[in-house]
Amino acid sequence: MVNIINDSSFAQEINKDGAPVIVDFWAAWCGPCKMLSPVIDELSSEYGEKARFFKLNVDENPVTSMQFNVASIPTVIIFKNGKLAETLVGFRPKQAFKSAIDKYI
Amino acid sequence: MDSRYDIAIIGSGPAGLSAAINSKIRNKNIIVFGNVDLSKKLIKAPKINNYLGFYDITGVELKDKFDSHIKDMGINLIYEKINAVYAMGDYFSLLVNEKMYEASAVIIATGMEFDKPINGELKFLGKGVGYCATCDAPLYRNKVVSIIAYNKEAEEEANFVSEVADKVYYIPMYNGEYNINTDVEIVKDIPVEITGHEKVEILKLKKKNLLTQGVFVLKDSVAPDQLVPGLLIENGHIKVQRNMSTNIDGCFAAGDCTGKPYQYLKSAGEGQVAALSAVLYLDSIKNGI
Repeated sequence: MVNIINDSSFAQEINKDGAPVIVDFWAAWCGPCKMLSPVIDELSSEYGEKARFFKLNVDENPVTSMQFNVASIPTVIIFKNGKLAETLVGFRPKQAFKSAIDKYI
Repeated sequence: MDSRYDIAIIGSGPAGLSAAINSKIRNKNIIVFGNVDLSKKLIKAPKINNYLGFYDITGVELKDKFDSHIKDMGINLIYEKINAVYAMGDYFSLLVNEKMYEASAVIIATGMEFDKPINGELKFLGKGVGYCATCDAPLYRNKVVSIIAYNKEAEEEANFVSEVADKVYYIPMYNGEYNINTDVEIVKDIPVEITGHEKVEILKLKKKNLLTQGVFVLKDSVAPDQLVPGLLIENGHIKVQRNMSTNIDGCFAAGDCTGKPYQYLKSAGEGQVAALSAVLYLDSIKNGI
């Protein structure tokens, strides 16, 4: 299940220990973001409780986007224990995300 | 959007066309993207003597032979430039700006462009450097954008960005008339380096430096790993197995884009292998292997 996250709820959700948190930074006008969306949904189902997935709309949440230097979208950031662990810019196939996320499980 | 094709072939040089005819012979539903000259490189060749069966032939004559062959088989090219290929798992999405095509398998036969990236281009990719100005324009609202343009198509992108960004610099790498909005500043100079700290800050040209937050490099063809995100590249070429498969299931590559020697007959041979491998792949997924 991929939940929505925003500027106000961000810190609280990221700082929970344990499972890695994956945030998909997207916007409505971004084509590749739309292509990535079903991939993120599939990953979320496959990881279940082992990882938490969120989507953040960059147009509506400029503070968080700027805080993490999101310059190109889609950008997917993996957080572990409240800290930024890895940034993946641009669409990539599901397997590529799995290889990255598995490092933090 | 049309229905899903069996195989999409990107490129109309000897590799792409050979893949096309071999796929067609195996009764696959194909779509081939290319250009009206088939191969800009081929038509410039003054004399070819090592293409078996066609000795002492000019590039244009060989290109005409290819053209007759595909026409004879009822293969028509789509003259659209694919911006991106997304591997969705059991199919591929091919995008031409907003338009989308779907195919179960893809053969990349895009050839080899010899322009090296600008210093800093790869380092700042995704941090201010991009290859699609219209895609990323809204991110540069009220900011400065520089466009390094290698062809006329870039002019339209520049105009689009100028409506959003604070300031747009247009650095043309080609001659001619530039149909650009008056508020876009044309800078006739050569890019040397893209620099900054975490993100792009300066585009250094030979004669001066531009303070800029975005740099878009707009060329004829897109590097294969930019075209197909997730595609494995080795030594500047798409990494393939002997059967022309890449690291992405269902995605194959053929021709100059897979490596040397850059020869027409080698490309045609690889196109055939790629097509036969794609056919095998399609049959295996249909049979649930």
